[in-house]
Amino acid sequence: MITNRRMFLKVLAGAAASTTTRLDVPPARAQAAPVQIGVLAAKAGVTAPVGESGLRGTQFAVDKINAAGGILGRKAELVVEEESNPKDTVERFQKLALQAKVEVITGGISTAVGLALGPVSEELKALWLAWDATTQKGVEETIPKPRYAFRSVDNEAEAVMASILTARRFKGKFKTVAGINNDYSYGRDNWAAFLAIMKKFGMNVTPVADLWPKLGETNFTSHVAALQQAKPDLIFSSFWSGDAPILMKQAHAAGLTQSTKFVLTTAGGVHESMKKAFTPEGAIMGYNSMYFEAPNATPLLREFARWHQERFKEWPNYESDHAYFTVAAYKAAVEKASKAAGGKWPTTEQVVDALRGIEVESLSGKRSYRTDHIMECSYVQGITTHKNRHDFVTIDPVDVMSTKQIQKPSGVGLYDWINSWSV
Amino acid sequence: MLGGVFHAAGLFLVAAGLQVVFGVQKILNLACGSFYALGAYAGVSAVSWVLAAGAPPPIFPLVLIAAGLALALVGPVLERLLSTIYDRDESFQLLLTFALVLMFEDVIRFVWGAAPHQLGDVYLVYGQLRAGGLVIPVYNLVVIAAAGVIAALMGWLLTRTRFGRIVRAAAENRRMAEALGVNMARVSARVFTLGMALGTVGGALVIPATAAVNEMGIDLIVEAFAVVVIGGLGSMRGALAGALIVGIMRAVAVAVYPEVEMLAIYVVVIAVLVLRPAGLFAKAVA
Repeated sequence: MITNRRMFLKVLAGAAASTTTRLDVPPARAQAAPVQIGVLAAKAGVTAPVGESGLRGTQFAVDKINAAGGILGRKAELVVEEESNPKDTVERFQKLALQAKVEVITGGISTAVGLALGPVSEELKALWLAWDATTQKGVEETIPKPRYAFRSVDNEAEAVMASILTARRFKGKFKTVAGINNDYSYGRDNWAAFLAIMKKFGMNVTPVADLWPKLGETNFTSHVAALQQAKPDLIFSSFWSGDAPILMKQAHAAGLTQSTKFVLTTAGGVHESMKKAFTPEGAIMGYNSMYFEAPNATPLLREFARWHQERFKEWPNYESDHAYFTVAAYKAAVEKASKAAGGKWPTTEQVVDALRGIEVESLSGKRSYRTDHIMECSYVQGITTHKNRHDFVTIDPVDVMSTKQIQKPSGVGLYDWINSWSV
Repeated sequence: MLGGVFHAAGLFLVAAGLQVVFGVQKILNLACGSFYALGAYAGVSAVSWVLAAGAPPPIFPLVLIAAGLALALVGPVLERLLSTIYDRDESFQLLLTFALVLMFEDVIRFVWGAAPHQLGDVYLVYGQLRAGGLVIPVYNLVVIAAAGVIAALMGWLLTRTRFGRIVRAAAENRRMAEALGVNMARVSARVFTLGMALGTVGGALVIPATAAVNEMGIDLIVEAFAVVVIGGLGSMRGALAGALIVGIMRAVAVAVYPEVEMLAIYVVVIAVLVLRPAGLFAKAVA
């Protein structure tokens, strides 16, 4: 308790002294201090399982890095903050960058959050490696030529791949299609891309229904009834959260899974919920990068799947791979930049330059950043099967496509790109 | 249409819970949505345990109802907490019950985790009914029937029993009831528990058809409020009519013109607010 002026001055002097000593830390010791990696992971709402999955991938990456001696000898340490609405997440981003002074921030799933974080990352010159969320409409305006923000894979990549597979596997086997997608840019973009590609391939299909339940809806009985009425030969859905199994369950109960074909571009994100009891064989189902049971799984993926299963009693989903990649890419970029800088710890500017075009091994195999800061990776999709040891569906045969095939190249509009295909 | 009635069944139970509590305690309990979500999660767990213990699958609706009722035993404790704000401003009530919503969200995340929970195939144990080219899961009819039975029981409870008379008297004039020797603390605790049970049982009953996700409660609160506005605050019949209107409006909108799914409901809400501000079944105010 400060009781008088003399006491107050003493306390002040003490505080000043302690500040000076802190500033006095020799550079060598600062070098050995842990590298702090900020993480923004969603913990509530529909995005919570995805955020959790990303966090697990991050944790696995950091554990591995530390077991192998850290990044240039410095241990990696996570500072985790929650991704929620754009305003709060921007504040937490600022807290990570300015207060915790982390060296890099990874994470981000929601489109709205991604759009808000981009400009802040540029303004603060804070390196941000997004997991998802940064290639939707509006990104060109808010993050036109990013320097510090590194972006995720395009929204429509999974729809592009699923559409190509639909044309390849189901051609001539269906005439009418219906879409049920979430009512926001992701759902709308995927459905539009699917229809455009069906047209490009000359599939001659007629859309008979397009339904737009909002994200987070848990009751599709009315939508299923509308689908029953429309009687489509094929149903296309880009559901990626808890809604995917609910839709399949209610569709199955209404007898829709017996004759109708399904294309589920992103249901691999909740693969353990896609139970055999209601998810039919013969549907197209997609995993936006890592597929936990890939036939050509690398030792790294096998190790991760085992670690994940032992620790969480679940098989991992693909968001872990996006997150793992951001950490692995950061480490590789720091090492590359340090080599160029004569062994010194690189500046953020040097790390940014090193990140452009960097390629590292991630859980799904080799992944990279394009020079325009967009991720490249491989997507896995295939035909659902019940022949496995689980109570949920997996895919066989398995198709793998690189984003070099299914993502529009730098500077080209999606539909111009699709129209330029020779089929 | 039937899809709409199925949705209305769950909605009715939650709205009815909201109504009884509002009737007596005069608080708008936002947490009724959380009760729905909690009921759903508890239902998944209870049925999974019972089936794992070797019970025959067809008994699962009873397990769900039991799980919902068991959960409502927490009711009196929560009521004690809420009783501190009965005489405070409405904004305090909304704040406190909203705080409960957020706390329950975390409770769910802590106990059940962030991933959706569901019951595999018990939904189809009762098979499907084929009528004129439509396939209807029989369980949907079971839920609709259960909601109907609960509505009838509520009607009987409120109009034909001593407890019901006390509740109605307390809703009419709390102080007078107290002056006449009614132990209001006890009545409040019971009414709140009843309201909570309606929510938890509602959540548990619909779960076989869907999956338990953390935010299911919040989504339902918004719709339950639309139901209450349409039906009239504090009215049981209003809750039933409102739930049917909202459920069927949605189903028709989805089938005819999906873009107006949400709009359609709120157009009705606005129409009711303009034409009959107290709701369709509200008591005339002298």
